[in-house]
Amino acid sequence: MAEPLQLTVDRQAYAVEVDPHRTLLRLLRDDLGITGPKEGCDDSECGACMVLVDDMPVNACSYLALQADGRTVTTVEGLGTAESLHPLQRAFLDAGGVQCGFCTPGMLISAAALLRSDPDPSEEAVRDALAGNLCRCTGYQPIFAAVHRAAAELRGEPAPTG
Amino acid sequence: MTATIERPFPRADGPAKATGQADYTGDLTAPGMAHGRFLVAGRAHARIRRLDVTAARTRPGVFAVITAADVPDRLYASSGFVADRPLFARNVVRYEGEVVAAVAAATPEAADAALRAIEIEYEDLPLVLDVERALQPGSPLVHENWAGYEKDGEIVAEGNMAARSTIVKGDATAALGAADVVVRERYVADMIHPVPIEPHAILAEWSGDRVTIHSSSQVPFAARTMVAETLEIPQHRVRVVVSHLGGGFGGKCDFHYEAHVAALARAARRPVRVVFTRREEFTMPDKVGHGMVVDLETGLSSDGRIVARRGRILLDCGAYAADSPVLGQIACMEAVGPYRIPHVDLDARLVYTNRVPSGSVRAPTGPQTCWAVEGHTDELAARVGLDPVEFRRRNLVTAGDEGPTRQLFEPNGALRALDEAARRIGWGSPLPAGESIGIAAGWWFSMPSASGAFVRIDADGRGRIVTGAQENGTGAVMALAMLAGDELGMAPEDFAIVYQDTDAGPYDTGSAGSQTTFNAGRAVVEAAREVRTKVIAAAAEMLEAAHADLELRDGAISVVGSPDRRVTIGAVATQVQDDGGLLLGAGSGTAPTKPEHDASACVGRLGFEAFASPTFFCQAARVKVDRATGVVRVLEVAAVNDIGRVLNPRGAAGQITGGVVQAIGTALTEGTVYGADGRQRNAALLDYKLPTAADAPTIDVGFIEAPAANGGPYGAKGVGEPPIVPTAGAIGNAIAAATGARVRRLPMTPERVWRAMREGSDGAADPGGPLAPAAASAGEPASGGAVPVGASAGNRR
Ligand code: FES
Ligand code: FES
Repeated sequence: MAEPLQLTVDRQAYAVEVDPHRTLLRLLRDDLGITGPKEGCDDSECGACMVLVDDMPVNACSYLALQADGRTVTTVEGLGTAESLHPLQRAFLDAGGVQCGFCTPGMLISAAALLRSDPDPSEEAVRDALAGNLCRCTGYQPIFAAVHRAAAELRGEPAPTG
Repeated sequence: MTATIERPFPRADGPAKATGQADYTGDLTAPGMAHGRFLVAGRAHARIRRLDVTAARTRPGVFAVITAADVPDRLYASSGFVADRPLFARNVVRYEGEVVAAVAAATPEAADAALRAIEIEYEDLPLVLDVERALQPGSPLVHENWAGYEKDGEIVAEGNMAARSTIVKGDATAALGAADVVVRERYVADMIHPVPIEPHAILAEWSGDRVTIHSSSQVPFAARTMVAETLEIPQHRVRVVVSHLGGGFGGKCDFHYEAHVAALARAARRPVRVVFTRREEFTMPDKVGHGMVVDLETGLSSDGRIVARRGRILLDCGAYAADSPVLGQIACMEAVGPYRIPHVDLDARLVYTNRVPSGSVRAPTGPQTCWAVEGHTDELAARVGLDPVEFRRRNLVTAGDEGPTRQLFEPNGALRALDEAARRIGWGSPLPAGESIGIAAGWWFSMPSASGAFVRIDADGRGRIVTGAQENGTGAVMALAMLAGDELGMAPEDFAIVYQDTDAGPYDTGSAGSQTTFNAGRAVVEAAREVRTKVIAAAAEMLEAAHADLELRDGAISVVGSPDRRVTIGAVATQVQDDGGLLLGAGSGTAPTKPEHDASACVGRLGFEAFASPTFFCQAARVKVDRATGVVRVLEVAAVNDIGRVLNPRGAAGQITGGVVQAIGTALTEGTVYGADGRQRNAALLDYKLPTAADAPTIDVGFIEAPAANGGPYGAKGVGEPPIVPTAGAIGNAIAAATGARVRRLPMTPERVWRAMREGSDGAADPGGPLAPAAASAGEPASGGAVPVGASAGNRR
C-alpha cells in the first residue's frame, strides 16, 4: 500500500514510504519529527500548518504527502535559526508579533511567500496574504508592522518607524 | 526603580517560538507512547442504558479502554464550588461533549476503531436549553440530585439554579419610583468560545507511583490538586508540567482532562497522549463564555445623573458549575459599571442547561455585560438629550466616590480615559458618509492571590528566576525578568526563567484573572530584594564601602560618585560562593487587600463583592455599516486604559490589540449556535468565525497612568482581561449611531443588524414590565442543603 516518496524538507533530502492518504502535515510531524508546523484544526481553517511547497504556501494538513513528491518543502524550521534569524523572524520578535507563538510558524511562511512574490507589499496585500492564518493573541497589528519592517530590510531600506 | 522597566526587551521564549523549535504539548512524544481518544456522548441529555467495552478492549493495538468503572466513584468541584461532576459519565450524560470512555491504542486509527467498537445504548431525557424556562417550576432538571451536592457554604442554589449572587446598596425601588426618567431594556448574548489556536493536549507518563502530566494548562497547580483528588492519589506524586502554551484566554483554565489521561496511561501501562481535534475543542472543554440575558432598569434625574439601577441577569451555566458560581457576582459588578449609582439592586442567577459548561473565559461575563450596559448607557443619554461622552462624564466615578458595595475609589483614570479615547477617535468631527463612531467605558478588577518566586545569581553572573507562574503567551512571565533585573541592576536578558512546572516552582494561581504581573511580580521583586541585600553586603566588603554608598547598575556594583570602585555582579557571586554562601532569595510578597466595603445586603458572596485595584478603560470604535446587508466593518478602535503603572508597554499593548480583535469577534461574528437537539451547529472554524487579518482595524492604544496605592509591583494593576471588555459595547453604539437601530442580540450579525434596521428592533428589546425587586424574584435562597466543600474551597478566581 505504501508508496515511495522523495522530497527535500528544509534543505534535507528524504526518501520514505507513505500511505497514499497520509497528509504532508502527518508526514512532517509524525514521521520526520519536524514539529515546527502546528496543527490547529486539521481542516484548512487556521493556517498554523502552513509550509511552502516549492514557492507555494499550502496548508499541510490538507495536502497529501505524495503531492510533494520530487518537490522542495520549506517549513518555519528552514527559514532561519535562533542564532541566525531570518529577517521576518527577527521583525516578528522586534514588533511583538509573537505571543503564544502557535500561529507563528504558519504566519511566517505566509509572510515569506508574500515577500518572495511582492517585495514591497501594500497594507492591503499584507492583510490579504495573512487572511488564512488565524492569530488569537496579537490582534494582527504587530504582525503587519513586522512584515513591513522585514520587507524594508530585505529591500535594503531602513526599517519603517512604528 | 531604574530605567530597566518600561523599555522593550527581547522575550526569552521568542527565538525558539519564531524558529519552530519551541515544543508545545502536542509536539511531545515518549518512548512507547500510545494515542488516546475520548468517546463523548454525542447527545445533550440521556440516561446510559448499557455500556459495554469488552469488544473494544480486544481489538488489535488497543492497550486500554476505561470508563467510570475504572476511576474512583466520586464527584468533583473543579474550582471548589459545587461537586457536581464525575470524570466519566455515570448513568447520565448532560451535554454532547461529556466523556463516556477513553481509549489508548498504538495508532490514532486503532484508537478510533476501538471507539467505534464500544457498545452503548441511551435513553434520551428531556432537554433543558432555555435559561428562563429552566427556572420555572416543573422544568426538567439537569441535576436531579442538586440538593445533595457538596458545595461552598456561600452558594445559594435551587433546582436548575446552580448559584445566585446579588449586589445591593441603598433602596433601588424607592429611587426608581422617584426618578425623572426610567429606561428598561433587555440584552441577550450568545455563548462565546475562547478558541486558542492550540487545541488542548495532554501527555501522561507514570514512573512507579508517580505521574508526570504534560498539559496545555493555564493552571498547572489547580490541575495537580484535582488529579490527586479525583484519582485519590497524594498530591506530591503528581507533577504537572506545561510546555509552551499556545494561548488560553481562559479556555485552558480549570481542571480539564489531566486525570482522564493519567488514568488511561496507568491502565495502558505506557505513556498516553491525547490531542484534541478542533471539534472537540468546541464541544468538550468546560470553558465557554456564558450565554446571558441582561435586563436593566435605570432611573435618571432630568440633568442626566444616574440615581438607581436594577438588573436581572441570567447566565447559561451549561451542564456543570466549574468556576461559574463566582461569575454571577462579577456580572453584577459589571452591570453597575464604572458609574456612580447611589442605589443598586443587581441579581444574577446561574442556570444549569444541557450545554457545554461555561467558565472563566477571558474577562468572564465582562464583554457581554459591558455591551449591554454601554448600549443602555447610550439609550439613557438619548433620553435626557445628552451627548454620550458628556453623559458618561457626568456619571463616571472619580476619587472619593463609592462603588456598588461602598468601596471608596482611589484617584483613577476613568474620566481621562474617556476624554482621551474620544479625542483619539475624533469624537464630534465630521465623518465620511456611512461611517459612525461609538464609545464605551468599563471597569475590571485585579486579583490578589498567592504566588512565590526564587531568584538566584550564579558565579557566572547570570540570574535565574524560579516561579510557579504560567506563561500563556502574553509575555507576563517573560517580563518577570525585567522586574528582577530592575532590582538587581541587571538586564532582563541576564535571567533565565524556570516556570510552569509544579515540581520546580512554588504555588501559583496560574494564568487566570490577569494576575501574573500583579502577584508573581510582587513575589519576584521580594525575592530579588533579598538577593540585592546579600549582593550589597558582599560588595561593601569587597569595595570597602558603606552599604548606602553602593549602586547596582549594568551588571555591576559601584560606589556612587567613584565609578572606578566597581565589581561585577558575577565577581560578587563568585566571592560569596568562595566564602561558602550563595546569592539566593525567596519571596511570596504580601497580597494587596480588597478595599473596605459593605456587602452585608448581598447574597452569594464568593470573593468579588468589591474590586481590588480596579482598572478603568474606555474604547471608541469607528465603523462602517452596509445598510443593504447589515455587514459591519470596524475601521478603527481607540483603546485607552488605566492599568496603573505600565511596567511593560509592549506587552501591555499586545494584550490590548489582541483583546480588541478578539472582542470584535464577540461583537460581530462569534456565537455558539445550537440545534433543537442541544448540539452545537457551528463547532468548526469555518462556521464559528474568528476575526482574520483582513478584518483587523487600526488600533490606537493609549495609557492613563494612575498607579494603585494597594496594587501590584510599583502600582501595576491587571492587564490581560480589560481590553476585551468594552469593544462590543463601542461597536454596538457605533452601529446604533449609524443606523438609528439598537441591536440587542450579541453577536451583532449582519442578519441581526439588518433586522434591527428594518424593524427597528431585533426581537429582544423590553424585558416586559418593571423588574421585580430582589426579594420577589424567582429562585430565592434555598434553606439548608448547602454543605461546605473541604479541601479546595479556597480555590477561587
Ligand atoms: S491545521 Fe491546517 S489549516 Fe489548521
Ligand atoms: S501569537 Fe498566539 S495565536 Fe498568534
